[in-house]
Amino acid sequence: MENILLKDNVADLEAYFASGGYRPLKKALSLKPAEIIDEVKKSNLRGRGGAGFPAGLKWSFIPKDAPGPRYLVCNADEGEPGTYKDRELIIKNPHALLEGMAIAGFAIGAGHGYIYIRGEFAAETELLDKAIAAARAKGFIGKNILGSGFDFEIFTHRGAGAYICGEETALLESLEGHKGQPRLKPPFPAVKGLFGCPTVMNNVETLAAIPAIIDKGGEWYASIGIGKSAGTKLFCVSGPVNKPGVYELPLGTPLMELIEKNCGGLKPGKKLKAVIPGGSSTPVLTASEAGAVNLDYESLAAAGSMLGSGAVIVIDDSQCMVKLLQVLARFYHHESCGQCTPCREGCGWIEKILNRFEAGAADEKEIDTLYSVADGMMGRTICPLADAMAMPVISFVKKFRAEFEAHARGETCGKGRGLEDQRTGGSALRSV
Amino acid sequence: MPKLTIDGKSIEVEKGTTLLAAAQQLGVYIPRYCYHPKLSISGNCRMCMVEVEKAPKLLTACSTEAAEGMIVSTTSDKVKAARRDVLEFLLINHPLDCPICDQAGECGLQDYYMDYSLAPSRFRMADKVRREKRRPVGPHLVLDKERCILCTRCVRFCSEVTKTSELEVMERADHSYIGLKEGKALDNGYSLNIADICPVGAFTSRDFRFKSRVWFLKKVPTVCLGCATGCLIEAHHNENIIYRLVPRPNPDTNTWLCDHGRLTYKSVQAGDRLSKGVIKNGLIDLEPALREVASRIDEARTSVAILGSPWLSIEDNAALARLAKDGVKTGSYCFDFNSEQGIKDGILINKDSAPNTSGVKAVGAAHGGIKLAELSRRITAGEIKLVLTEARAAGLIKQALKSAGTRLIVFAANRGEIPPDTYATLPYASYFETPGTFINYQGLRRRTEPPVKAPEGVKPLWAVVNKLAAYSGDSLRLESAEDALEGIELK
Amino acid sequence: MAFILSEEFKARAAKICARYPRADAALIPLLLELQKEAGYVAEEGMDALAQLLELPYSRVKAVTTFYTMFKREPAGKYHLQVCRNISCHMAGAAGLLDGLKKKLAIEEGETTKDGIFTLSSVECLGACGSAPVMQVNEHYFENLNEEKLDALLEELKHGRLPRH
Repeated sequence: MENILLKDNVADLEAYFASGGYRPLKKALSLKPAEIIDEVKKSNLRGRGGAGFPAGLKWSFIPKDAPGPRYLVCNADEGEPGTYKDRELIIKNPHALLEGMAIAGFAIGAGHGYIYIRGEFAAETELLDKAIAAARAKGFIGKNILGSGFDFEIFTHRGAGAYICGEETALLESLEGHKGQPRLKPPFPAVKGLFGCPTVMNNVETLAAIPAIIDKGGEWYASIGIGKSAGTKLFCVSGPVNKPGVYELPLGTPLMELIEKNCGGLKPGKKLKAVIPGGSSTPVLTASEAGAVNLDYESLAAAGSMLGSGAVIVIDDSQCMVKLLQVLARFYHHESCGQCTPCREGCGWIEKILNRFEAGAADEKEIDTLYSVADGMMGRTICPLADAMAMPVISFVKKFRAEFEAHARGETCGKGRGLEDQRTGGSALRSV
Repeated sequence: MPKLTIDGKSIEVEKGTTLLAAAQQLGVYIPRYCYHPKLSISGNCRMCMVEVEKAPKLLTACSTEAAEGMIVSTTSDKVKAARRDVLEFLLINHPLDCPICDQAGECGLQDYYMDYSLAPSRFRMADKVRREKRRPVGPHLVLDKERCILCTRCVRFCSEVTKTSELEVMERADHSYIGLKEGKALDNGYSLNIADICPVGAFTSRDFRFKSRVWFLKKVPTVCLGCATGCLIEAHHNENIIYRLVPRPNPDTNTWLCDHGRLTYKSVQAGDRLSKGVIKNGLIDLEPALREVASRIDEARTSVAILGSPWLSIEDNAALARLAKDGVKTGSYCFDFNSEQGIKDGILINKDSAPNTSGVKAVGAAHGGIKLAELSRRITAGEIKLVLTEARAAGLIKQALKSAGTRLIVFAANRGEIPPDTYATLPYASYFETPGTFINYQGLRRRTEPPVKAPEGVKPLWAVVNKLAAYSGDSLRLESAEDALEGIELK
Repeated sequence: MAFILSEEFKARAAKICARYPRADAALIPLLLELQKEAGYVAEEGMDALAQLLELPYSRVKAVTTFYTMFKREPAGKYHLQVCRNISCHMAGAAGLLDGLKKKLAIEEGETTKDGIFTLSSVECLGACGSAPVMQVNEHYFENLNEEKLDALLEELKHGRLPRH
């Protein structure tokens, strides 16, 4: 089928407009806000950032009679390891995002939209700023959009290096000029969000899907995909495949179809060992589990994992699972905001245990310690970062326990650094 | 008014009540570190998690509002496991400092470990995160970043109570720490409250550090006399030494205590504490000092003036009034003090630095007397040969005394209080050493409880006055402090 | 020496602040601007920003130390930031980093004596499909291998930052 989001040659405003762009905005402005929300509800579009919450429902949570300003925030803080789809979308189709934002802004009654983009994406921010200026020049954003009387401004706002800011309330804190530390909920952002005002936050991919939904109707969108997993989804594949990249596929596509057909399979000589299907925090699937699962919210949940952000990380049999988990633990330890006790202390503890496994200095009992530390973090914190650390730990240990045992016995797996560093008095603990 | 059950007990609470508060009303204690009733809710320590039926996860009791029909357990296995886990997480990077930590004995980690964990450590010593230790921050506090559990009570105190915002959590993850500007002192007038609210030994009081183990301390509820606010406090003492004053939180007056008030106990243990009389700068035994003062008063009689003091208790002021009326029989006595009162910093410190301006008014109402201005006039006019008062009150008529060359005799507890050119000084028992009644700026009557004894031979002021009268052949019949209160109406 | 924000900076800051209903929301963008000018965020810069935005210094310091992109000391002309997260790791990031250490004769976090290169390893840069990835200052270099890296280093040594 034809791509809805990832299109070539629509990056410029003229080209985007020539391909039918900004017509949905005109249509939306002729509707009542409630009608737009209904259309989005009908589409079954779900949040593409990772949580999969129904977008139309989220919009409808904005209190109807709340006085004062409301805000729309686009979450472009793409940070979950393995994920790079929003960047691709911003480069290839920025106006779909801006148009989606203007429509969403109109639907929820917002006058301002902020695109919170990760700080490292300096070039992409520049690109968005140019697109915003072009759209403003044509009257698609700004004052009195297309003569409708609706005013809507969009600003980009760069982060400065903090994975946690991808979490909704941490992003709001950061956007207000604070440390990115998640807020207690309730109150939820729909009631008390940015600057204390009702706020809707959606991922780049979610918002970019809005123009097509308004153009062709919610039912059309709902007919793509499978069941409650409606529409297309961007899948960003990394790891040793022949053609890594971002692919737009209807939800429900078999995982192996993505790997084999779209990505051209694994590189020569590589054998599939495991797949992390939805970004680094989602539970890992073994090769056989991966072979049997489809890429939609329900199938992946049934397989004990998650669709997440659609970041498919392919792992081949030359990789050491202990080493990979150590890499992830180092990341989550680095990114814990430090607010909640279990996450602040647990992430570091897990990394330290894994460092010992990698150095061949752990004992077998510590496999259970790993597991129980992760268990002690799960569901016990303000935001899901602790879970994001715990889920890979639990799934790696459960599914690849033999590798951990081998490390504990001091056998080098030949894939990580193993015992060699220890014997030579190397600095395994520091260099990894 | 939602109705809910906590551990099988039903309760109906005001809308907006948190589960932690609702449990407290039922007498169910939920452990907590970051929660403090007078600070905003942070929800970071995760110690207060409880199980609520139908909720998929445990909820923090400090931040969850009670709702109709909730069934809450604070003792389920899940809750117990969560508490054990949180304690383990808090302890892994905590140093093994307890033997040299001032907090030992009143430490949130020690206490909860005994109550909710008792699990052996699974953490490797070599893995502990090391942080800066023993850093003096300001005149009153020492910060040990290694002991800190990052509950942020101190941060919130500085931003919400003193609004000075000196402290913040710097960095992130397990290398985050409480920090303040390099070279800047944490000195906001209320800094010692931070040592109180710190649940562990991260912030300790420089004054109290290494002075006593807390389990040796005895506690006496008393009143701060640092100003007219009259905060309720507790004096912690042992073997006739006061070690620290801490606030006794109450709904009327104070949750906190200012640094100035907190250190007022120092004077009773100071090197210049008077245990003898002073005549013209020379120390002299109490008996001869009393005789000397009595004879100077006898000489002057009707040209003696007696001035009460807002730094003295009602009893001691009343004794001075009786001395004027029934002993010396002079018309020149004054219990007229008018100071503007009210909180001046929005927190606790009063515009009126004296603790008993309102109390002295009650003495004046019962015994009469002249206005302060009239007393000054009489002194300046040379009508007064001798003034008897309390050392700090003498400051109020300083100008008049200077011009007239009147003989000044004062009561003082410390030598440092004695005004220059004082002829004689008699020591008296301070209110850390003897009970006294005071009325604070809100009109609330408060009585001090003495944690320690006065120096050998030093008596309460009312008793000294009684003896002074006796030397002159007058009997005031003051056998107790209560006798002095006769005829005085107190609310 | 007192640190003074230029009038030009203040004018730019006023424009950025105007995007938000509360000026302090501009703290992070302004710290980025400050870093762009000075190469890092100095204590004096934090002080000056605190004053400009009427914020406590502690807030500015906490924010500066929370976000990893803020450098607190001067770095080399080119800051090489090698991603070490899972996709880049599988694509050989560790070897890339080791190679750079040898070539530049510095460890992570260090700057070459000539002040040209600073080397760091960083977490996921969000370009996992073209691993391994390195950021030089604000520019991405993707699908790296040893030859590409050598060619890039050569260009950088001559003061040329290739654009794509």
